[in-house]
Amino acid sequence: MSQDLIRAPLASMLDRRSFLALVGAAGAATLAGGSAMAAEPKRGGVLRLAASINPSSLDPTTGGSGFDHCYLWTMYDTLVEWDYDTLKPKPGLAKWSFPDPKTMVLDLQPNVKFHDGAPLDAEAVKFNLDRSRQDQRSNVKADLTSVAEVVVTGPLQVTLKLKNPDTALPAILSDRCGMIISPTAVKTHGAASDRNPVGAGPWKFVSWADNQKVVVARNDNYWRKDRGFVDGIEFNVIPEQATGLRSVVAGQNDMTFSLPARLKPVIAKAKELQSISAPTLYCIQFYFNTKRKPLDNLKVRQAINFALDRDAFVRATMAGLGEAATMTLPKSHWAWSEAASKLYPHSVEKAKKLLEEAGFPQGIELTVGAYTDQDSVRRAEVLQEQLGKAGIRLKFTRGTVAEISANFFNQGYDMLLSAWTGRPDPSMTYALGFDKGAYYNAGREATEELSDLIRRSRESENLKERAAVFDKIQQITMGQALSAPVAFQYELSAMTPKVKGYRPNLLGKPKFEFVSLE
Amino acid sequence: MLAPAKRRMIRRRLLQAIPVIILATFIVFGLLKLVPGDIAVTLAGDNATDARIAEIRTMYGLDQPFLVQYGGWLMKAVQGDLSKSLLSGEAVLTSIARCLPNTMLIVVLALMLAMAIGIPLGILAASRPGGWVDGFVMSVASLGVAIPNFWLAMLLVAWLSLSMGWLPATGSVPFTENPWESLRHAILPAVALASGGIAEVARQLRSSLVEVLSSQQVRTLHAKGVGPASILWKHGLKNVSVNLLTVISLLANRILAATVVVEAVFAIPGMGSLIVHAAVQRDFPVVQGVVFVMVLIVVSINLLTDVLYSVLDPRIS
Repeated sequence: MSQDLIRAPLASMLDRRSFLALVGAAGAATLAGGSAMAAEPKRGGVLRLAASINPSSLDPTTGGSGFDHCYLWTMYDTLVEWDYDTLKPKPGLAKWSFPDPKTMVLDLQPNVKFHDGAPLDAEAVKFNLDRSRQDQRSNVKADLTSVAEVVVTGPLQVTLKLKNPDTALPAILSDRCGMIISPTAVKTHGAASDRNPVGAGPWKFVSWADNQKVVVARNDNYWRKDRGFVDGIEFNVIPEQATGLRSVVAGQNDMTFSLPARLKPVIAKAKELQSISAPTLYCIQFYFNTKRKPLDNLKVRQAINFALDRDAFVRATMAGLGEAATMTLPKSHWAWSEAASKLYPHSVEKAKKLLEEAGFPQGIELTVGAYTDQDSVRRAEVLQEQLGKAGIRLKFTRGTVAEISANFFNQGYDMLLSAWTGRPDPSMTYALGFDKGAYYNAGREATEELSDLIRRSRESENLKERAAVFDKIQQITMGQALSAPVAFQYELSAMTPKVKGYRPNLLGKPKFEFVSLE
Repeated sequence: MLAPAKRRMIRRRLLQAIPVIILATFIVFGLLKLVPGDIAVTLAGDNATDARIAEIRTMYGLDQPFLVQYGGWLMKAVQGDLSKSLLSGEAVLTSIARCLPNTMLIVVLALMLAMAIGIPLGILAASRPGGWVDGFVMSVASLGVAIPNFWLAMLLVAWLSLSMGWLPATGSVPFTENPWESLRHAILPAVALASGGIAEVARQLRSSLVEVLSSQQVRTLHAKGVGPASILWKHGLKNVSVNLLTVISLLANRILAATVVVEAVFAIPGMGSLIVHAAVQRDFPVVQGVVFVMVLIVVSINLLTDVLYSVLDPRIS
């Protein structure tokens, strides 16, 4: 795979105080006679986290919420992993190869055991992949549609026979589909596997009390010694994020994460807290229903994209903790397209002119679905003002995420102000959000050309070649203005000084494998 | 030992509770179904497809007619099975068994605070109506009614937990596990819940006490030479006890409802948090289960009040 497309790794952005603290720590380590790099993180202690959302399920196959991952990563190892900064896939439980475009071979790490003592071998992986593909309760069937058959070709080797070339599979196997659960546990517990997770990750499941607490404890037989430092993790479920942050300020929890930018000043005011922020794929955007008038008109959709002042939005609503989104991928991603990024420089004049050409010299009124939480309301107000300047008047209907999203994707409004949470492989984003018949494509239509390109984006294993295809895809989705991306939200987490080694990742779903407590 | 008449009354009240429970759960179920939004979409997850959503609807019986769904739930509930959460699969009874003690602890503590502070204040104010003590107590009481409890809750957290570090800011500890820690966690939420109640008890007690103390009966007692203390404690309070009981029972029900907000501020995993979370996600078995238990509690409080009425005033039957 070519390296040149991996843009400069994103150093996670620490604020000044934390940065100084780190420099201080490194200095102290050097003084003590060892280099900071060689210092082995301290083992032990229980990491207490304030987490804002209860898991939907602790079985990766049956769950549905994007927030689940922070729980799942602790208990399950994945077949494939990714680089924290770029999401470039790398071997996890398995090394992969494509001997020919329609065959993928997985070679498993030897001597790995599940928490129940059963071996994690080829049979177990086949069981998992077949379950993801076929089980009635599986929520990830769509991820593996390219797989025709899973064959055990050795005690530690699994071969995937593909219907069509699919080089998104390594990234797909770094997500839910690649989290391997013990077949014995699934057979014993049946549907209760949701609440009895048995994986092979650094920590074992202890307990889950709904909306209250999830507890995991160290797996002493974990196959890798360079991670999993704390003895246990306690996720305390606190839905109100300001309250969660207060629990960290008061010292009842050690850390909280995925905070909205509005809490940044609160963190800064608390003397003892360090904060870490870093880019993620979480893209705040307007979804369009291109089937409804007047959004079926390309010029209207383009006018909206021109009318958005994305940089002002980042300053006004995100305290600068974000990146203006000119497409559904951030600048640091390997598949970012320079050509697509230049399509819509902010221009009210151009937006007005396009509306006039489209036959709406008096402007237009659009119905928009949006959510009721504080951050959504604030975003909506800023965007309403921005688009209003170009004569695009927004009429909001507000409600819960479940209600408004379901309404929009079932043809309820012209637009939806929401977010796209990002996927490990960009082809998943385009297949789920823009392809013909895709659920997140409210108009359900797509041109032949786009569908064909999305398919082709999974044909090559070479990142450079893939990036070239994504370049075309993004020029179409943005050129056709199939959505209006606004901004990428940064991950913002706050922790007490004793929490060390936390590294945010581009996917924006925290892993705690490198965290230690002093 | 209860008199047969009282036992009859209790039996009658219990029977009356049945239609109340059915009606309440039916209305709530209807509201959940009327409000747009679909749990099948939530269940289908991030990679939802139209086919998967339809499949989930069939799997959970969400495509069944409204009455069939409600009937199914009711039949199970009658047999003591409150079903499972559609979202997480936890048995609703398990969730309630865990959350209810947390809520009851702060409700009971708040009620005790409201009475322990409100009653003396009311008596103090009523003993010299129009005096400066009365004026002061009633101004404070007005303030107590006017202050929203969630706002007071946040001030208390900011001051006593975050600045002073005396009390925990969030969470709760089961009483059975560690009574001392449990009370420490419960005290701030209880104060926030009790603030309005203290004011209400004080005001109501004052006005009924003033009325009784200026009655002809009390004037007669004075004339007979009964001391002021005896008038207040033996005759005055006895006469207002029924009023006071009404205020307290109404207060108990209202505090129960207010836990929804206060539990969110203090991140207490109680009944309020449970039902809010479930209602937002359209997880109707959980909502139904919580409503069911809440109705039971409210009906029991009312029943207990009625029984106490007849104890305090034998003329009431």
